[in-house]
Amino acid sequence: MAAVALRFSGAAVGYRGAAVLRDVDLELPAGQVLALVGPNGAGKSTLIKAALGLAQVVTGTAEVLGSSPVRARGETGYVPQLDVLDPDFPVSAQQVVLMGRYRHISWWRPTGRTDRQLAAEALDRVGLADRARTRFGVLSGGQRQRVLIARALVARPRLLLLDEPLNGVDATSQMTILTVLSDLAAAGTAVVVSTHDLTLARDIADVVCLLNGRQWAAGPPQQTLTAERLREAYGGHTVILPDGRDMLVEL
Amino acid sequence: MIERNHGVRRLVAWCAAGGVVAVLMAGCGSPGRAGAADRSSAAAGTLAVVATTPQVADFVRNIGGGDVTVHQIIKPGVDPHEYEPTPADMQAIGAAKLVVKSGVGIEKWLDPTIEAAGYQGAVVDASQGVTLRTGDPGDEEMVDGDPHIWHNPLNAKIMVQDIEKGLAGAAPARSGVFAKNLAEYSATLDKLDADNLAAFAKLPADQRKLVTNHDAFGYYIDRYQLQFVGSVIPSLDTSAELSTQQLTDLVAKIKATGTKAIFTESSLPPKTAEAIAQQAGCKVIGGPDALYGDSLGPAGSPGATYLGAEEHNTQTIVTALSGN
Amino acid sequence: MSALFLEPFQAPFMTRALIELVLLALICGPIGVFVFIRRLSFVADALTHTIFPGVVIGFAAGGLDGIFVGALIAGLVTAALLTLLTRRAELTDDASTAVLLTAMFAIGVVLVSRQSSYTSDLTAFLFGRILTVTPRQLGETAALAVLILGLLAVGGRAFLFRAFDPGGAAAAGLHIGRLDLWLNVIIALVVVAAVRAVGTVLVIALLIVPAAAARLLTDRLGDMVIAGTALTAGAGYLGLVISWSASVGYGIRLTSASAVVLVLVLAYLLLLPAGLRRRRRAVPR
Repeated sequence: MAAVALRFSGAAVGYRGAAVLRDVDLELPAGQVLALVGPNGAGKSTLIKAALGLAQVVTGTAEVLGSSPVRARGETGYVPQLDVLDPDFPVSAQQVVLMGRYRHISWWRPTGRTDRQLAAEALDRVGLADRARTRFGVLSGGQRQRVLIARALVARPRLLLLDEPLNGVDATSQMTILTVLSDLAAAGTAVVVSTHDLTLARDIADVVCLLNGRQWAAGPPQQTLTAERLREAYGGHTVILPDGRDMLVEL
Repeated sequence: MIERNHGVRRLVAWCAAGGVVAVLMAGCGSPGRAGAADRSSAAAGTLAVVATTPQVADFVRNIGGGDVTVHQIIKPGVDPHEYEPTPADMQAIGAAKLVVKSGVGIEKWLDPTIEAAGYQGAVVDASQGVTLRTGDPGDEEMVDGDPHIWHNPLNAKIMVQDIEKGLAGAAPARSGVFAKNLAEYSATLDKLDADNLAAFAKLPADQRKLVTNHDAFGYYIDRYQLQFVGSVIPSLDTSAELSTQQLTDLVAKIKATGTKAIFTESSLPPKTAEAIAQQAGCKVIGGPDALYGDSLGPAGSPGATYLGAEEHNTQTIVTALSGN
Repeated sequence: MSALFLEPFQAPFMTRALIELVLLALICGPIGVFVFIRRLSFVADALTHTIFPGVVIGFAAGGLDGIFVGALIAGLVTAALLTLLTRRAELTDDASTAVLLTAMFAIGVVLVSRQSSYTSDLTAFLFGRILTVTPRQLGETAALAVLILGLLAVGGRAFLFRAFDPGGAAAAGLHIGRLDLWLNVIIALVVVAAVRAVGTVLVIALLIVPAAAARLLTDRLGDMVIAGTALTAGAGYLGLVISWSASVGYGIRLTSASAVVLVLVLAYLLLLPAGLRRRRRAVPR
């Protein structure tokens, strides 16, 4: 059992040989929460994809659960951004969660009772047991996010990567999601969350990484989410919303 | 909100209901009604014959007389080279006692159709015994020879002989009637040939030139010793178009030979022929006066029968070429 | 009236035509649904055009049998090319597909014009000859149905995941490029199989319309497959009945393939209001 769930050393990540994000040096121990902070276009999604083997590590190294990103896929969970999914798709919440089980079902076996049971349990964990048969696209943004988290959970990942999980999510769902994440961390799963919500980062993260074309800082929130550091990385592009949350706006 | 799938259940229910109703009605319906409105069922007592082209169908009607009911597959004006048989055609073939085809590769679709319809009887090839002329060797369709054999009345005589043999074989009891009809019809074919010869004899030798839409009159030209300047559509395939070079060549040829008229056929559009006529400065005979090349005319027109069509062709050609 | 719905099928060639259409329904029902959810309707249409040069070459090389092999090869080549062209994009790249479609079709036309006579058998390939389908062809279609349904049974889950969430599917270890190639190959196989019965011009209707109509009825994948298959089979049956009645009863020429497609389109139009109502009822949140 690797003590370090995720490690980037002197890494630059991008696509087809072109780096989008440079100078990444971070370590995430098991059971802790890492917040990747930055506005849109900073490279947060790319870093997450690099940890999944979906983006290239152009220079440097990436280590996921003690091995390479591609080989660690069986134990990493991924919750993508909501807006890339087609809201008209004819699939139910339960079917979406079941997709998380596919990796563990041999190709010649149909999905069985055990699989469906695990899916039901995962849905229950995110508080959507009664919505199993509802079409995915009909659910609210927050509910859909929770379904995607359930999908990742059903495979019992040791590292969970979530790309902007609280975007467009209502307050109730947010609370549920945060509870699930902290429970996961407490149980030993490492969690990576990308966000441009500074308040969220402050609240849940053990490690914060400031990203903006390159890594500007990495460390505990008290050290990284300081006014000085933020100005350095983002040049005064923070905005305080009426509900008191600090957000980063697009450059 | 839990969705209920009314839609799919309703659809399946309708399909099931439809199936049940159909079966019930089948049970209540009278089984003997094998298509009273079926046009292809033979009148009582006659021999059911299926003929492919209008020309062959006309021959069968003349040789068979009142003793046959003919189902003609290719309607007048329809291209016989490519044809998709209808359910009525296939049903007629299945119920037929004899099938007659024109032959020489015109009806490539016939064999699979016969097989699918389950017909196992005799198929009369009306072209048997006819000396075929080879056409353009580069043409795929010429593999079997030029199929437009009927334009020479002497060939038509052979065709009706083949047909009579087939009819007699299918209905031996009436072979006497068929033989009589054959003798009468052959006599009219001889008269047609004689009339054609006489008509062309009146035309000066250097005016006997033929430019038509379609290289379909090879046998006619050979019989009556006309000169073939060129066809508007070089290959025997009715869908091919001329290239610019081919067009220029043909116009030059026409001008060089001094043909007075070019002829289009009833089953092809006249626009291509008109273009050439304008450039070469000659008359275009088309429209209602068009020649019958591949097919016969619709019922009621002068070209509805073989004799009518051939007489019309000769009259039209001779009149146009003599400069009237 | 009973005669209307059952009498046509007393003729063996009509029964064979019906069996062929039912087999095609079993194939095109499920595949059509995948074409729908992957938004591959244009790709499927492109395939019906790109097999044309294969048809011409196959005919020149080996006559009627050559057509099938030629179409198959052209279809597989297209499937591979299209997969490559669309690899990088999340959605299919319409422009590159259109270029491939027109390029290959134009090649086919050039090849065809160099031949002196070609129309008869090629027309059959473009428009189908469902009434002359032989028992051997039925066997071939059945074998293909078994193959394709087998491939779907094995790969259906992966296709579904990839269609819904390509990023998530890739993260779960699925090979997107390989899956796309497999699905394109399956669609090519379906096109080549259905072409003999209804022709290239109309096979696209079998792949697109039933799934679209089924989507109006339901938003559950399994039910879409059932509805699509049932609709295709039903349209096949009704189309044959209509074509028969028109020809035998009234002397009107209406090809069976056209009748089938018209019934399908009619069904879609009739279901449209139901679909719109569903859409309005399904208010999110």
